[in-house]
Amino acid sequence: MPNPIQTEVSPHDAAEELLPWYATGQLEPDERALVEQHLSSCAHCRRQLAFERRMVDEFADLTPEIDTAWARLRQRIEPPRRTVARPSLWDRVAREAADFWQNLSRPAVAVLATLQLAIIGGAGAFVTLSQESYQALSSAPLPASANVIVMFGGDTTESEIRGLLQANNATLVGGPTPADAYLLEVPSQSRTAVLSHLRADDHVTLAQPIDGPQP
Amino acid sequence: MNSTGTAVRPRNENAPSGAPNERALLERVKMHDVDAFERLYRIYQPRLARFLINLLMRPQLVEEVLDDTMMVVWQTAESFRGTSKLSTWVFAIAYRKALKARARWPDPVEDEDRDMRVSNDPGPDSELERSRIHDALISAMAKLSAEQRAVVDLTYFHGLNYREIADIVSCPVDTVKTRMFHARRRLKQTLSGTFTDWL
Repeated sequence: MPNPIQTEVSPHDAAEELLPWYATGQLEPDERALVEQHLSSCAHCRRQLAFERRMVDEFADLTPEIDTAWARLRQRIEPPRRTVARPSLWDRVAREAADFWQNLSRPAVAVLATLQLAIIGGAGAFVTLSQESYQALSSAPLPASANVIVMFGGDTTESEIRGLLQANNATLVGGPTPADAYLLEVPSQSRTAVLSHLRADDHVTLAQPIDGPQP
Repeated sequence: MNSTGTAVRPRNENAPSGAPNERALLERVKMHDVDAFERLYRIYQPRLARFLINLLMRPQLVEEVLDDTMMVVWQTAESFRGTSKLSTWVFAIAYRKALKARARWPDPVEDEDRDMRVSNDPGPDSELERSRIHDALISAMAKLSAEQRAVVDLTYFHGLNYREIADIVSCPVDTVKTRMFHARRRLKQTLSGTFTDWL
């Protein structure tokens, strides 16, 4: 198969395209040789290489003050915007970790009876969900078949949720709760894989087992 | 697996020397080791913040996207198979998250008078001169598309090669080269209008 660089792009264009990565030392030896051979005979590319090197240096120097610079720029290009409080990453991670170890350390039956999932509400307050809480927060008692709890991002549409459930062979058996959590039933033999798929999806903000570790 | 370039810059934080430590941390993250995740977070937070602030141009979105990115790392660590560098995987997640966030928040309207104000600033001392350069660079970056900004920043600051960048932004290597080519030309045009010594 012919190399398009050799057949469709002139040596000058090929070398000029590679100059940024020549300046950062990120070319393979054959590419570097091609660039160096061209540089020896092209004043334009030598000037361009000087530009590339200066850009690399300027970008490195830009870092320490970038926050200040952006704050300045933001004041000029947009009015201050009210920000919505979000739960911090560490709140979310710490809670997940606690749940994970709790699930591991308790028998499945006990987990279902005593599971405590603290889910952060929209205003940042904690809403504690236990089996009783699920019943209180859901429109119906916790279905016996529910084995996964899931939360979706605020911009997720109903059709995206439906597609996600169908793709994972999951059945909606409860929710939304006031904390916007949904209770799902997924085939027990594929629960681990389904959880993994759900967590990898950009629309899913939380996916947890609620019937203990995989049998 | 970096190429054997002539002078790999010390600031290339994806150098192989740092990779084994990161991979070891990820193995512990797969076991839901929060301490390991915190260490990984502290390695990646500055790099991702820098990448995202250039890409998003919305400082208030950086924290959100960065947190969402690291949550995906935490939740799907077991899905990382090691076929690419860990940094490539993490940056690819951040790139996808950032593009989604941008769909909700389009780029701000450029302040057309800005360049004039910057170039008219006399800047007699070096600190003021540095500030002028920073402002001009930021303004020049603002004229690029988000896709171009990502490629420029991953090249000039993060020191990645174009193949790694293609993996991160999920496009062919020739597209990376083309984006970079047009971005450089526009940066040069913008900056040379501000600083005559750039050409």
